[in-house]
Amino acid sequence: MPVIELSYSRLQKLVGKVTKKQISDSLPFLGLDIESENKDLVRIEYSPNRPDYSTDFGIALGLQGLLGIKTGAIKLNVKKSNKYKISVRPEVSKIRPFVTGIVAKNGKIDDKTIKQFMAMQEDLHFGIGRKRKKSSIGIHDLDKISFPLVYTAITRNHKFIPLASEKELSISEILEKTDVGKDYGKILENSTKVPIILDANQDTVSFPPIINAAITTVTTKTKNLFVEVTGINKEDSEDMLSVVATILQKAGFTLETVQITGAKNSTAKFEQKKIKINPTLINQMLGLNISTSKIISSLKKSRLDASIKGKDIVCTIPAYRFDIFGPMDLVEEAALGYGIQNLTPTMAPPQTLGQINPVSSQIKSLSQTMVGLGYLESLNSSLTSKRVLYEMTNRNTSKIISVLDSKSQEHTILRDTILPGLLENLSKNIHESYPQKMFETGTVFTLDDPISEKTNLSSISAHKDANFTEIKSILQSALKTGFGIHIDTKTTTHPSFEEGRCANIIVNKKSIGIIGEINSKIIENYKIRVPVVGFEISLSESILKSI
Amino acid sequence: MSQVFHEIEKKIITSLKDNPKQTPETLGTSTKLSPDQIRRGIEWLKLKDLAIVDESITSLISLGKNGLESFQKGLPERRLLDLLTNGPRKLSDLQQELGSVFGPAIGISRKNNWVEATSDQISVKNAPPLLPGEKTLKQIGTNTFSQEQIDKNDLSILLKRPDFIIETISKAKIITLTDSAKSIILSDSTGAIDVEATVPETFVARTHPLKDTIDEIREIFVTLGFSEIIGNMTQSSFWNFDALFTPQDHPARELQDTFYLDGISAKKIATSEQIRKVSESHKKNWRYFWDINEARKMVLRTHTTGVTIKHLAENKPDEARIFSLGRVFRNEKVSYKHLVEFNQIEGVVVGKDANLRNLMGIQREFYKRIGITKIKFWPTFFPYTEPSLQTMVYNEKLGKWIELFGMGIFRPEVTKPLGITKPVLAWGGGIERIAMLKYGLDDVREFYNNNLNWLRSATKCQ
Repeated sequence: MPVIELSYSRLQKLVGKVTKKQISDSLPFLGLDIESENKDLVRIEYSPNRPDYSTDFGIALGLQGLLGIKTGAIKLNVKKSNKYKISVRPEVSKIRPFVTGIVAKNGKIDDKTIKQFMAMQEDLHFGIGRKRKKSSIGIHDLDKISFPLVYTAITRNHKFIPLASEKELSISEILEKTDVGKDYGKILENSTKVPIILDANQDTVSFPPIINAAITTVTTKTKNLFVEVTGINKEDSEDMLSVVATILQKAGFTLETVQITGAKNSTAKFEQKKIKINPTLINQMLGLNISTSKIISSLKKSRLDASIKGKDIVCTIPAYRFDIFGPMDLVEEAALGYGIQNLTPTMAPPQTLGQINPVSSQIKSLSQTMVGLGYLESLNSSLTSKRVLYEMTNRNTSKIISVLDSKSQEHTILRDTILPGLLENLSKNIHESYPQKMFETGTVFTLDDPISEKTNLSSISAHKDANFTEIKSILQSALKTGFGIHIDTKTTTHPSFEEGRCANIIVNKKSIGIIGEINSKIIENYKIRVPVVGFEISLSESILKSI
Repeated sequence: MSQVFHEIEKKIITSLKDNPKQTPETLGTSTKLSPDQIRRGIEWLKLKDLAIVDESITSLISLGKNGLESFQKGLPERRLLDLLTNGPRKLSDLQQELGSVFGPAIGISRKNNWVEATSDQISVKNAPPLLPGEKTLKQIGTNTFSQEQIDKNDLSILLKRPDFIIETISKAKIITLTDSAKSIILSDSTGAIDVEATVPETFVARTHPLKDTIDEIREIFVTLGFSEIIGNMTQSSFWNFDALFTPQDHPARELQDTFYLDGISAKKIATSEQIRKVSESHKKNWRYFWDINEARKMVLRTHTTGVTIKHLAENKPDEARIFSLGRVFRNEKVSYKHLVEFNQIEGVVVGKDANLRNLMGIQREFYKRIGITKIKFWPTFFPYTEPSLQTMVYNEKLGKWIELFGMGIFRPEVTKPLGITKPVLAWGGGIERIAMLKYGLDDVREFYNNNLNWLRSATKCQ
């Protein structure tokens, strides 16, 4: 989950009439986890479905609601203006077809505000923007731009001075040489031309979704902003713009429209959504019995508007709350406004009888039998490595199941056998006293259609007198006492076992596993200094089959 | 003083009464106990204030090459005197019979006036019955003695002679009895043993501590009316993600968080109706191109919820309490708080009257049964539940609230396409976290290190 750093004193100013303690007590009940605190600074984790919480402005709006300082939906006051226009050319339709924007005037921008805007931009790009693929945003100094603008496509030898650069670079150079170019250039790889926003003087404003022009950089001296959002569909682009507009309004800017025309584009309307919900559903889902007016006030505390219409409540949802899909989301909004701390847990008597899965109970019985025979239970990962599974045990590697891009070298392939893991355990315990006797039950994987998962039992005994007779006797007793199964052993060879000291385990004329003295070379590989004997059987093909 | 002693202690005390200053080695010889038994016995006696152990520097005496030869054949001068018992002998004959020791034999005997020589003949003059050095030679024999056990004057004779005596300096533990021990009267008549003595450690064979926690949690939910279901660890993306309303372009589905199986896709993932309805829900709500091939990709399950939702989609119960428990996977760097593979429990309640407060009640009851009573609930976010909560439990040791199970009500976008009509309450979380609290661990990796030292010592009932 994303994390943001806030200042309590800034939040107090933005929320109004509130103590630091009230804020820190309330944050968790907005769904914001406090990660750490250091005097005035607080780091909080917020949910990816609430990009408005990526700035202190958005969090302040939420806190005002929860604390009852200001409730109800936030209305965007967007002044209609004819001064700011973008026309869209059909050339860009097949690359990144949609653009939208807004102008924000007469705001004060300090360093902290710039930091908040950057956090918001990053969150929007990563989350709803799907790493800029779906939609992306550019924030510019309005006074450096001559309107009207044109959103079109341009060749890769087009040049301009990009943000954080001092000299002109071509599009190709930006994509090849800059960090953002390398990170996001992939989005444009299917077209020869790239999207571009040019102003009335043909100067570059932005090269979406990669980088802005240096000239429009926002600083603490900037008073008026121009925000553009581009994307592959209109709804997502306008959703993103609505978050930015809401935050800028809370930050003290006055908003004006940017008119968009051409190639199926149109001006953003920031339309509110209306959803009907029956108060009974809310009471039923939350296990409450509260009045409709209490529900309405709770919804308002969650910064929504709500009113009664017949038996239903009609909820008005501002554009930036696109995380609200339907009535169940309103159940949550009502619960948050009501206060999760006010919901007391209740215990409904179960209408069902509980049962352990028979497979679990069988495995448990078998484990207890192994413990009774003096074996200690071991636990290893089922995602393990080539080294443990094949190299150390001299087994062939033809049918491995591996995962893509593992961050850990020790966890790259799924085990098809348990025994090598137990040998690895012995090798890590050579300084502990002997005898060492261990067993493990667990899942093993083999390629099938697509993958078959079976449960195995493996067991090993290591000490100076360990031998075949001992381990066969253990297996024989475990299966006889546990399950009344009789085993036979039949000579075989296996790369992990000593020749002439290895057998297939036969139950009802079928081999269910292997048993024997571990090959001395392998013991040496693991730097174990005593003889080791062991077995591995498939439980799925013997014991568990009968279920 | 009537006191009960271990057989080992009795033997050591007896030996020390006969021979008051001994090393562990000499005790071993005299008592026929093993070095380990001697060590333990001395340790016990020391603890009871019955024995004193001093580190001392001792000079040890044993016979050298010539000494040993003399021990076996007699001193050269003794051999000479023996040859003369039947009267005088010729010098040349004696030289032939005594060989290399002829010189010293004649020299010493003449110097001491034991023999006299006339022209070429030698005869006994005045020999004592026991020659100097003979007593010591006999005493030492093939053994080793400390210097003080041997007659100094007699030894000095032998010390002067080449290769007769080997003297080694050794640091030795000297064991002596304390005064109170000297007055002990040992009696064999009762057959009693020292029941207060320490004993060697026996290692218990046992189930794994984490398995114990898993079993405990399983049983709690069974008694709360839940039935266990089991499913595969490898799942199609369809059941792991798509059926749970996680869009295909969602960051959680990327390689860096989820383990995809290299080149493995499932041919049959679900019924055609399930696929159609799930994909429609995605297209309508998330506005993107839903790709069936993406849904076919096999992953190591990131939660057990896929198993549960599949069970619900297949059985569509009106009333149910089920849970699944097992390994789940995350592509993370392994650290003291993260594993790539860990255990999760996850359960659902289905019923027309199921509600959020019930769900909170089940959580509260569960925590109570594992001994956690200080809990609270905070709102949170999961892609497939709405509303969503998390339990915070207070950890006395850490002095802070920590996050445990998450919970919520399955979104209609999840249940509706799969034909599930009744509300579904869902909850779940990692088991290692609970086990860490239980066993007081601060490194989660310990559960999978299989370190015998820990497994053999972790207390079973916490």
